[in-house]
Amino acid sequence: MSLPNISAACHVVGDDINTDVHCSSKYMPGRDTAYVAQHAFEQVAPNFVSEFKFGDVIVAGRNFGINSSREQAVHVMRLLGVSAVVAPSFGRQFFRNAINNGLPLVECDTSGIEDKDRVEIDFAAGVLTVPERKIRRALPTLPPAIQTLLAAGGLIAFLQQHPDWNVGAA
Amino acid sequence: MNLVEKILAHHAGVATVKPGDVVVAKVDFAMVHDARALNALKQIQKLGTNGLPFASRTALVIDHFSPPPHPEAANTHVAMRRFAEEHGAVLFDVGDGICHQVLPEGGHLTCGDIVVGTDTHSTTYGAFNALGTGVEGTDIAAVLTTGKLWFRVPESIRIELKGELQPGVWAKDVTLAMLGRLGAEGANYRSLEYVGSGVAAMAIDDRMTLSNHAAELGAKAALLEADEKTLAWLKAHGAREPRPVKADADAQYAQRIEIDAAALAPQVARAHHIDDVVSVTEVASQRIDVALIGTCTNGRLDDIRQAAAILKGRRLAKGVRMIVTPASRDIYIAALREGLVETLTAAGASVEAAGCGTCVNITGHFIAADRQVVISSANRNFKGRLGNPSSEIWIASAATVAASALLGRVADPREVEGGRWRNAA
Repeated sequence: MSLPNISAACHVVGDDINTDVHCSSKYMPGRDTAYVAQHAFEQVAPNFVSEFKFGDVIVAGRNFGINSSREQAVHVMRLLGVSAVVAPSFGRQFFRNAINNGLPLVECDTSGIEDKDRVEIDFAAGVLTVPERKIRRALPTLPPAIQTLLAAGGLIAFLQQHPDWNVGAA
Repeated sequence: MNLVEKILAHHAGVATVKPGDVVVAKVDFAMVHDARALNALKQIQKLGTNGLPFASRTALVIDHFSPPPHPEAANTHVAMRRFAEEHGAVLFDVGDGICHQVLPEGGHLTCGDIVVGTDTHSTTYGAFNALGTGVEGTDIAAVLTTGKLWFRVPESIRIELKGELQPGVWAKDVTLAMLGRLGAEGANYRSLEYVGSGVAAMAIDDRMTLSNHAAELGAKAALLEADEKTLAWLKAHGAREPRPVKADADAQYAQRIEIDAAALAPQVARAHHIDDVVSVTEVASQRIDVALIGTCTNGRLDDIRQAAAILKGRRLAKGVRMIVTPASRDIYIAALREGLVETLTAAGASVEAAGCGTCVNITGHFIAADRQVVISSANRNFKGRLGNPSSEIWIASAATVAASALLGRVADPREVEGGRWRNAA
């Protein structure tokens, strides 16, 4: 089962983005996901939310989502319509949260990709291309079980269909 | 196979696993703390709460917002108490202590277990030869309803501590040295295995720091093999029958690192970056204003003993304030019985009720002033973590924090009276 291809504008942020700080209410007690979504990443990319269109992609530097990584960050990104995050590496907990919530992560060198470039991701072929930069990069294959969870729309949706955890049957 | 591979293979019911494999494995115990409980309870509702057989093997811990600083936290606490009551989960309430301390103290885990918790420092359980790792609310919902969870088998790094740490040098210094060497997140996705005479010589308190603080390296887990000390500690705390796991002689590691433990000096992470690490001797003229001891990393009895050994019969340097927060109620009681609370209070420190305390400003009960320099035994020091981006947080062992509080500047504990205290047990 393969994920649908993506062709969308990208929004570039830097290295070591701490999603607790930039995309959660950890330091804004009582604020809900909708409120955080209006202010996501504003300290690192001031026009991020106003310029972000549903279906766009985030392109980041290394260690995107480091530290304790609230799951809320992924809920915020889903609300904004983030279709994938591309980065050379992710924080471990962020990686889990993204898979569990059906947000595809693409582990890939992001050097040379500029803000608002059109990024094309072909999951089945395992290729990321940025036509206007002549960038074409191979993507590592996600383990089948993770592809199954992503294709189901996340872990909750998967377990609603497969409470027996049969990751091979989906 | 190495430790993490063996535990995952056993719990997944397969003969072998290798790094990169994704397995569905049985979980032995789960933990949810109050900073994540609202999300976890929300996710559990999505899967339905008709019979949660795993609830009796789940602890709800009220430690981060302890006591609650706003109505949202207070309401979350009420929801946690109600959930624990309705479903038969274990509850640790305000003042009982930090999740990573009360789980082992309560006998809720043992060697060979898989324990998941809604906190990055769930790596702490590795000190007991268990796979402890951090998860989030969706994972907890899966565990509570099915008793299982998916895991990606991590690559492992074997770290050998050669020789023994000198008196005045602690597990905290080992991890800070590793952070200086590998960088923050330098072990991202990976599992650590600490071995060698330096680990064997450590008391359980210090071993817990070693496993706990691996979270700052980005580690998924940080496991130790069990020895007589481990088994005796678990037995004394009423843990289930241990299933100790040893690495095979031909176990594979992505990386092997050796540390000359005997040559290691106390280490300090400078403001804002946990991997900006220097030897204490290089920064000994640095002024400090506030000294903090506590947290899941270094708020244990041996940490409080280190501070009391240095501050006994003395006063904090003029102008310095100090807060000590025991990691659990049991530690607090032990510190009272040993006279440590009296020693520290007489020296000018405040000793607060057990909990996450002054680790991070989410409670508002300690906020640093502009340009203040805080030295803390906590685990993270990014700009603004104590509520003020104009303040600085430096990170060190409890001994180095106490020596610094005594002198009003970053100080090498080996150079002050009592600074070479070590646990003789």
